[in-house]
Amino acid sequence: MSSVDGSGDAGKWLDAHYDPLAGLYTFSSCVDLADLSGDGESRLLVGDLGSGSSGMKLKVYRGTALVSESALLDLPAGLVAFFMDLHEPRIPAVAVASGPCVYVYKNLRPYFKFTLPGLEVNSLEQDVWQQARAGHIDPPTLKEMLEGIRKKADIPLSVRSLRFLSLEPGEIDDFVQLHEQQPIRRQTVITCIGTLKKSTADEDGVSCLVIGTENSHVYVLDPEAFIILSKMSLPAAPTMMDVTGQFDVEFRITVACRNGNIYILRRDSDKPKYCIELTSHPVGLLRVGKNVVVGCTDDSLQGFTQKGKKLWKAALPAPITTMAAMDLPTRGFQAVLVGLANCEVHLYREKNLLGTIKIPEAVTSICFGRYGREDGTLIMTTKGGGLMVKILKRTAAFDDRDSAPGPPLAQSVRLNVPKKTKLYVDQTLRERENGLAMHRAFQMDLSRLRLTAAKAYVKALESSMTPMSSSLSEPLKMNAVVQGLGPSFKLTLNIQNTAACRPVINLAISFLCDESLYRMRNPFMRIPLLVPGLVYPVETFVECTSDKGISDIIKVFVLHEGKSSPLLTAHINMPVSEGLTLN
Amino acid sequence: MGLFDKLAGWLGLKKEVNVLCLGLDNSGKTTVINRLKPSNAQAQDIVPTIGFSIEKFKASSLSFTVFDMSGQGRYRNLWEHYYREGQAIIFVIDSADKLRMVVAKEELDTLLNHPDIKHRRIPILFFANKMDVRDSLSSVKVSQLLCLENIKDKPWHICATDALKGEGLQEGVDWLQGMRKVHLIESKCVSV
Repeated sequence: MSSVDGSGDAGKWLDAHYDPLAGLYTFSSCVDLADLSGDGESRLLVGDLGSGSSGMKLKVYRGTALVSESALLDLPAGLVAFFMDLHEPRIPAVAVASGPCVYVYKNLRPYFKFTLPGLEVNSLEQDVWQQARAGHIDPPTLKEMLEGIRKKADIPLSVRSLRFLSLEPGEIDDFVQLHEQQPIRRQTVITCIGTLKKSTADEDGVSCLVIGTENSHVYVLDPEAFIILSKMSLPAAPTMMDVTGQFDVEFRITVACRNGNIYILRRDSDKPKYCIELTSHPVGLLRVGKNVVVGCTDDSLQGFTQKGKKLWKAALPAPITTMAAMDLPTRGFQAVLVGLANCEVHLYREKNLLGTIKIPEAVTSICFGRYGREDGTLIMTTKGGGLMVKILKRTAAFDDRDSAPGPPLAQSVRLNVPKKTKLYVDQTLRERENGLAMHRAFQMDLSRLRLTAAKAYVKALESSMTPMSSSLSEPLKMNAVVQGLGPSFKLTLNIQNTAACRPVINLAISFLCDESLYRMRNPFMRIPLLVPGLVYPVETFVECTSDKGISDIIKVFVLHEGKSSPLLTAHINMPVSEGLTLN
Repeated sequence: MGLFDKLAGWLGLKKEVNVLCLGLDNSGKTTVINRLKPSNAQAQDIVPTIGFSIEKFKASSLSFTVFDMSGQGRYRNLWEHYYREGQAIIFVIDSADKLRMVVAKEELDTLLNHPDIKHRRIPILFFANKMDVRDSLSSVKVSQLLCLENIKDKPWHICATDALKGEGLQEGVDWLQGMRKVHLIESKCVSV
């Protein structure tokens, strides 16, 4: 079942629905929420991209169920719901932008199709095609001439000619035959779509459509007659836009363009008023209050004023997949939801991270708003086509930590520093005056310490008091293990020949201990031939004869036959015999 | 007042019971309460409740005072102020709204964990409403989704209802009366 116990994300979201197999492939620009039936329940509108070449659909969800599905002719570039008239009941229309057209649906039925005005066609191109139709030139010559035109002309070729130029030689004849009769048209395509209130700021006021096109124009369309009210030009093709204000009063269109800049258009001019030059390309553009929030390809989120002044920048842990605004007017809460490639959705208010939502897959679209009858609903679609709905808990509170600018709070807490004493002042003075002498004395003591340490080390080496043999002919290593609680202990000595290839023979082990405390079972042992690399355990038993609960050191010597100085010496700190106390 | 009513009053059976009617917005609380009223007092148009409204009606042996709370998100924080007065709770659920079942569960959990409710053996009557809507969930499914089986320390009962037609409501009210009598007898036993 879809509902799961609300968990994680600090308990702020309830998991209302998750269908990993919903088969929704879409982006944030093609998702919207609207009350399509006027009954107070918002529906989810999705422009589904299908497989990218087929199966494009306009889908409508109500609650957890898909209620309507209608095929789209082309890939949707954007989808918006908007009020186009003042009729009662107030039911919004849906505009789907795809290719050069905007398809308007009312009551989920096709209502109107707006096509962008055609562009000027290259006259040379037109002549060449006319000649081809008349049979004056054959397709290969046509191809050559078109290529010539493409290189020189300032008016670009039509889509048909470009397609023709990309064909294989075997296909060009059929293509010419199929298309030569039709006149040449050059059209641009829509890249982004938005809505702009016409004259009132009301929630259900009539809105104009705002369209960005591939040939770097922005059009504002009248919602009733679908005529172009205003046309503005940009230095580059727009990719994303955000619109605020009212067409008849004052408006701002913030547009992210393909050249990596953000332009701000205003009512009074058809050219951009302000420009924000970004260091990397924008992937998401939103407006929060009066500021613009931009997500960039360098994994950062940046905030700007509406005049283009940079306010802040926050680094993100992964590339951005999508962004959406989270606006809760009833609580006066505004934030930005950022979908990341590491399967997380981060919630930012300004540059402060307020929360993280973990998602099983990377999200491709995010939409926040009123869905059904719930105001704070978060709808996400995932890379694998899943649909996920989360509802913000009524009791969820986002804490306001470091949203205030300036130093952290802890910095302003006064520490209880004691007053400077006379001793402290004297000491400081002394240090200041005799700094050089003090440093010298310190250096001398340090050298002495090092000398003492070196001497002790040499002495230890000379008397072979280390468990590592330094002799070149018999390099040995030993460690000892004491087992048992007492009074009887088992002493295991692990001896290893660390030479590369030479075996060692004629070795013996002897023990030295306090005879009144310990009794060794065999205080002298011969060691067999030591093959390099192998560890030889030599075991013996020690009995503690004292009942006073004291322990002592047992010294172990590894000796070479015929030599009096030991090769190795080890001191074993014997544990206190606990067995005696038990008796 | 007739002799029998007086007798019932002396026996302590004729009691006023304060009932809280809770549930999400658009679940049908006001419609349910409206249906429980005598037919000449029923309203024709039900509009979303603002804040809360108080309704009184009589069932065979008890007279109910119902606090019909608004279920809208912004009024839900009013609920807890009436928990103390409530002697029984009616929780209405929109069985057709699968998406918000999780919200209903959340509100129910908040209710059950409230200090005024947590340690009282207060009877809770669930109405799985809107059974007439196509694709609505059954009362069994609703009780599963709300994890009602976890309520161990309070008597509860779930009825599938259609408040528009009034189906299933009487069963719930009968149960509530039964619970009320048991409660009265219990409290008498305690006082003795």
